[in-house]
Amino acid sequence: MDYDRFYASLAEILEVERVKDEDIFRQFDCWDSLTKLSIIALAGSEYRTVLRAKDLDAMETVGALKAHLEKNGL
Amino acid sequence: MNFRFSGRKISGILTVLPANEVPFEAEIANYSVSPAKSMKLKLAMGYNKHRIVAGDVCASDLCVFGLEHLFAEGLLKKEDIDALVLVTQSPDHFMPATSNIIQGRLGLKQDVLCLDISQGCAGYEIGLLEAFLLLGQESIHKVVLLNADVLSRKVSRRDRNSFPLIGDGASITVLEGGAADSEIYANVKMDGSRADALIIPAGGFRCPSSPETGAMVEDENGNLRAKDHLVMQGDAVFNFVQVEVPPMIESLLRSAGLPPDAVDYFMFHQPNRFMLHKLADKMKVGHDRMPANIVENFGNASSVTVPLAMTFNLGDRLTRERLKICMAGFGVGLTWSSVLMDVGPLEFCGMIDYA
Repeated sequence: MDYDRFYASLAEILEVERVKDEDIFRQFDCWDSLTKLSIIALAGSEYRTVLRAKDLDAMETVGALKAHLEKNGL
Repeated sequence: MNFRFSGRKISGILTVLPANEVPFEAEIANYSVSPAKSMKLKLAMGYNKHRIVAGDVCASDLCVFGLEHLFAEGLLKKEDIDALVLVTQSPDHFMPATSNIIQGRLGLKQDVLCLDISQGCAGYEIGLLEAFLLLGQESIHKVVLLNADVLSRKVSRRDRNSFPLIGDGASITVLEGGAADSEIYANVKMDGSRADALIIPAGGFRCPSSPETGAMVEDENGNLRAKDHLVMQGDAVFNFVQVEVPPMIESLLRSAGLPPDAVDYFMFHQPNRFMLHKLADKMKVGHDRMPANIVENFGNASSVTVPLAMTFNLGDRLTRERLKICMAGFGVGLTWSSVLMDVGPLEFCGMIDYA
C-alpha cells in the first residue's frame, strides 16, 4: 500500500494540509455525508474495497480506516 | 438475463418537461445545513436547477400533452398506436392503470394494449424491452413507450439529500419494425434483497398513509422527511452502481462482440454528476462520451433521464445520423439494465415544455 498517497488523498478530502493516524474523523469541520461518500469512492477506486457508510461510522480515526484498507484492499 | 432483437427501431423521441424551473439557490433556506456547505454539495453533486411540476400535475398530464403535440405536428397518428406502455412509479391512481387513463383522454382505439410498468431508474431500458417483445406480434406495428414521473411530489422539500436532485418529466418514444440490418442487445438484472436502498415507505398497502406517516422526522444528517417521502441510502446506491454497472456493460459489449470504442455514446441514467463521473472513470470512458449534464440542468426525472440525455445532447444529430448508443439504467429495485442499439436517423428528436 502506498501510504504517502493514502494520507495525501485523505488530506484532500478532509480539506486539511496533512492527516495523521490519531486524527478523529468526527472532529473535522467538513465531516458530512459528502465527505463520507468521497472516502467511500476512494476506497472503491484506489483500494478495491466496498465501504458502507455504517462501516465508516464505526471507524473513529484515520488509523482505523488505514487498518481496514490494509486488511481488505491492496 | 440477456435479450437479443433484430428488425426493430426507435423512430422518434420527444421529451416533455415542466416549464417550472427552480434554481438551487431559491431552496437553500429549506435545508438545515449552512449555505456554505450547501454550495459545496452543489458543486460536488452537480445540481444547479431542476424542473418540477407546479401544483397537482400528474404523469398522465405530461404524457397527454406530449402526445397531443405529436398528433398536431403530424408526427404520430392516433389510429396507428397498437400498444401504449407507460413506465411510471407515480401513477395518477392505484387503479385504473394510468396508461388506460391516457388512452381514454386521447380517445385511442379500443384495440390498443395498455400496460403500466412500475420501474424507475432502469425503466427506459425495461420499457424498450417490453416494446421490442410486443413488436414480435404480427398485429403490433407501432408501440408508444411513455416514461413519466412526478416524483418531486413525493420528496421532502427539507431533504437536502434528495430534493435538489429530483426532477419531473415525461418522454415519448415511438417504436416500430425496422430493417434487420442491426442487432439490439440488452441485459437486465434484479436484486430485490436491497429494495430498501431507495424506497417510499408509506402510501401503499404495506404501510398505508396516516397522520403518523406524514410526520416529518430528522435523520442523522439533519434532513427532514416523512415516511410518505422517498428515502435513499446514498452510500448503498453509490457502491451498487460502482460494483454492478461496469461488469454489466462489459458483458453486454462482449455478447455483441464489440469493443467499448465502437460505442458512440453511453447514455446512462443520471442520478447525479458525482456518481456518473466516477462510473465513467471506472469504465475508462471519456466524460464526453458519457454525458452527465442532465441533473444540473433539469434534475433526475427517474427513467426519463436517458431519453432526455439523448434529446438534449443529440437532438439534432439523431435526426440526421445513425449512432451506436449504449443505454443503461440503475437504481430503485434494485434494478440494473442496459441496451445496445443503433439509433437514428429519427423522424423526430426534440424537447418541449409543459406549462
